[in-house]
Formats: sequence, C-alpha cells, structure tokens
Amino acid sequence: MRRYDLITPEGTRDYLYEESALKRIVENSTRQIFRSMGYSRVITPGLEFYDVFDLNSGYIPQDELYKLTDNKGRLIAVRPDSTMPIARVVATRLRDADLPLRLYYTQPVYHFTPSLRGRSTEVNQTGIELIGSGSRMADVEVISAALSVLSSVGKEVDFHANYSLELGDVRIFRELMHRLSATPAQKEEIRSLIESKNYPALNDMLDKLGDNSITRSLRKLPTLFGGEEVFDRASEVFQDERIEEILGSMRELYKTVCAIRKDAKVIVDLGLVNKTDYYTGLVIKGYLEGYGDEVLSGGRYDMLLSEFGYDQPAVGMAVNVDAVATVIGKKYTPEQAAPDVLIAADEGNEAEAVRRAEVLRGKGLCVEFALDVDDAQDYAAARGIHKVIVLTGNTAEEVEL
Amino acid sequence: MGKPLRIALTKGRLEKDTVALLETLGYDCTAVHEKGRRLILPIPDGNLEVVLAKAADVITYVEHGVCDMGVVGKDTLMEMNGKLFELVNLGFGKCKFALATKKNYPFYDGFGVKTIATKYPNVTRAFFENKGMDVDIVKIEGSVELAPLLGLADGIVDIVETGTTLKENGLEVVEDVAQISARLIVNTVSLKMRQQEIEALVQKVEEKINDKAD
Repeated sequence: MRRYDLITPEGTRDYLYEESALKRIVENSTRQIFRSMGYSRVITPGLEFYDVFDLNSGYIPQDELYKLTDNKGRLIAVRPDSTMPIARVVATRLRDADLPLRLYYTQPVYHFTPSLRGRSTEVNQTGIELIGSGSRMADVEVISAALSVLSSVGKEVDFHANYSLELGDVRIFRELMHRLSATPAQKEEIRSLIESKNYPALNDMLDKLGDNSITRSLRKLPTLFGGEEVFDRASEVFQDERIEEILGSMRELYKTVCAIRKDAKVIVDLGLVNKTDYYTGLVIKGYLEGYGDEVLSGGRYDMLLSEFGYDQPAVGMAVNVDAVATVIGKKYTPEQAAPDVLIAADEGNEAEAVRRAEVLRGKGLCVEFALDVDDAQDYAAARGIHKVIVLTGNTAEEVEL
Repeated sequence: MGKPLRIALTKGRLEKDTVALLETLGYDCTAVHEKGRRLILPIPDGNLEVVLAKAADVITYVEHGVCDMGVVGKDTLMEMNGKLFELVNLGFGKCKFALATKKNYPFYDGFGVKTIATKYPNVTRAFFENKGMDVDIVKIEGSVELAPLLGLADGIVDIVETGTTLKENGLEVVEDVAQISARLIVNTVSLKMRQQEIEALVQKVEEKINDKAD
C-alpha cells in the first residue's frame, strides 16, 4: 500500500512561486558577488563515498549522515558538506592546476536533524573556497566576500537587514588544550562547555583540574567576545607569548575588516570552538537580525587537503541560502509578474503564433499561448495579461485589455 | 528604546521564582501577576517582555531565536540538547536525576540486560552509554515509580526532589545521575546582536545570586 505518495519526507519541502523566487534572488546576488571576485563554479555529486567525510581533521558524526550502499556494497553518504568533496576534487583532478584556485558552489547539503524541532534536513548552501594560499590577503578576501553577501541581503528588493560578522580563531583554544593535562573525554567536555558558554559547569569542571594559568585562561575564553576591547581583555587574561602573537594577528585582521566597510558591525568571539570542524585558524560567522542561527559560516582549513594527499592551505565560507531567503521573505513577497502578451491562434495558425511569439520574446517580452482560443480574453483578464493577439484565418487582431 | 528583550519562562514554580528574582532586581512585574490568560506580558520599565511556556517549548523558542532568553530546568536541557548558550545557574528549582530501584534490588548483578523506565530517554541513554552498559529503555509518561513495582522495569531514571515518593513506594536511589537546577539560557545570535543589554541583565542576576549564596 502506498502511504507516503503525497507528502515529502520530514525536513524537506517543495518550493513554489514566491518561495522559489526568494531563493533565486539570494542565489543570483551571491553568484554575482562570487563571479565578480573571480570564482568559478564547481558542482560535486550528491552522493559520495562515506570515506570522504570520515577524516582526522574533521568528520561528520555518523548519526547525522544519510547513508546507503552502492551496488558493490560500499558505503555511500548523501552530501552533508561541500568543502570536503571540493577538497577531494582539488587534490585529484585539479592537482596540477595553477594556484590559487577560486571555486564557488550552490548546492544542497543533507543532515539528519532531530524530528519535530522545525529544522531542515535539506539545506541549500552557496559558498566559496580559496585554495593554495595561507596569506592574510586570502583571509581578507573571503571575509570581504562574506561582508558583501551580508550587506547586500535583500538589496534588489529594497530591503535592508541588520547584520553582524563575527571573527574567531581556534588556535587559541587548541594552544591551551595542547598544554592542558586532561583525558580526551575531559577535553571534549571542556570544549562543549566553552561552545555553549556554560560558565557555571565549565568552572566546576575546571575546578577538578586544579588552579593554574591554563585553567584560568580556559575559564575566561568563552567570555571573551564583543568589539575591539576583547583583544585587550584577552591579553590581560592569557599573558602568553604564543597566544599574544595570535591575538596580534587577529587584531590586525579585525582592524582591516572594520576598515573595509565603516558601517559594518564586526565582532570577535574567542570562544568559537565547534566539534566537527576542519578549521585550523580563522573562523567566521555571519548573523542577520530576525534569524535565530548563523546564516553564514567559514574559516581557514589548512589540514583538510593534505588528508586527500595534497598539502595546501585553504580558506572558505558558506551561506545558508534558505535562511537568508527566510529573512527576506518576512518583509517582502516577490510578485509573480504576469506575462506581457497572450497569443491565441486557431487551427492552422499555430506556426504563425510561435513565430510571432519568438519575435516578441526576442525583444524581452514574456509571451504565453492561449490553449483555448474561445476563452482567450477571459483567461488574459484573469491572469492579468494586458495584451492579446488573436490569429484567426488570415487576420491578426490585437486587443489591449 | 528598541525592541524589548523577550524572555521565556517555564510556567509554574520556575516562573514564580524567576519573577521573584526580577522583582528583587527592581523590575515591575505587575503584568505577570495579573496575566489572566495572556501569554506574552510586558515589563515596561526593563524593556523586557515575558513569554510563558512549557519547559521544552522554552528551549524550542530560544533555539529558534523567537525568544532571546529563557529560564528552564537543567532536566529539560539535558533531555533536549539544543544549540544555545547556558549562561547562568540560577540556583533555584534544585533537584536531581537519579537511578532508583526497589529496595535492596541487585541492579548491577547478573548478566541480563536491564530495563529502565523513564520520562527522559535521552538522559537515560547517555548515562548508561557512559558506563558502557546496554539497557532497554521504556518511555513512561505518568508515574514512573509504577514500572518497577509492576515488574515492567528493573529500575527508573527520574527526577528526585525529597525522595518521599520513592520511599512511600518502597523504592530507593541507587545512584545519582546529575544535579538539576534552573538555568538562564540565551539564543546564540541574540547574545551577539544584543550583547550589551543581555550582559547587563545577566550581570545583575549573577550579582543577586552570589549575594544570596554568600
């Protein structure tokens, strides 16, 4: 018995009219930005071998992956992330290509999400990867792309959303953890408490590990977020040469980013420490007012490509197209423009109708055919079409409505 | 003043404790006291807006960012596992998760797989996963204490406040699973977009709690 033939699986949906128009708006404007920065599109398959996502420098938890097997019994994953497949492509087919490589993509990713929590299983993403450079200008380039995307949200439709761009650097956390003597399980617990800014539990946890400069620094790490003053507070907290060096380079980057766009709200959070990341340094997040989760995320991943046998630094970021479309959609409903002209033709005039339509379309007009000649004018009125061309016998009649 | 900060409170005891806390901080909570059937209530002088919801819904609203902050028990947070910031342990609403069995029941003896009845399957699963122990989990909606008495389960994982209910039914705590109290949670984007307002409120709350603790 067919039970599920009329609905889509939980977490997925059909996009019609306004919803798909909103997505197109977001995809078009981001594509324009990426292309104007010299990026070329890459399309990777929706299905990949599971191994692509099971790496040392970053992995996707297996309970989040959609998995199936191919006809040889090998484990396949439905793409949960685009950066890892692109790293694979670069390490193989683009191995001999000149560096740096600038690639962009627009494609969905899939994750199992907890049911009935209003989250999507299928998320449309668009993003860029800049591969083959560890320079600061590469970081600035990707951040500037993120700023362009955030500041241009809804521009085509005269809608402006408040945004902020957040910078972090996982090296500070890694440095501290490297020096901390604790079991891997304890370290993971500390990481997750810093990520969720769970100050009370973090303090309890660190109490158990003794009072020293490292535990004192870890206690403060999640509280170190805000504007430029964060760097001063951080220097005071850490008082460490190696970390000072990282802070110094971050501060320079922060100043550079602030100088790009005077009106941009740029914030810093030294407590950005995600679990499954392949990030090795800079991390960025973008927020839009009116959306409860980040709409953009990215960072530097210098170890990822080496896992595919090609040791190259890289930096990139991805935009959640659905999230941005949702934000615009709260304030703006795209109009479904009616066609400009309707052509009605009786039997024998079909070819003439197509010829005339092609001429008009060549001039940039939208032309529809009436499929029922007798009903053409009523149909045009109902559809909001203002001009009807009626071809009967040897006559052509134009009617303005 | 901009849009008010929206804070979701868990209806019932946590709501009363939170409102009492807000009042000691000097906020005028008249509207919350005289709420009638309304669910969104203003605290005008603090540029705050209170939303009343069930515990699990508080987490859902804060996670999606339709509420900026929330007050909810650690029990529900452990069961739901949302993506949010858990900034303050408010100290009230204290109780614990515990594993309980019939008195003198040899829970850890033998090689058979044990059955646990609970309202909190995720908390239970995580607890036994940590021990590397396979258990069968049965979700019960009402009085969990019944399950071992009726012979459905070997033990229960549930919230224990005073232990009176357990005692009256001939059950006892075998092991504590986790301590519970009310937490102040914040949406991950709200904390960044409205840092000053939220930090100011959090600081006031923390000062008050520390005063009490001293």
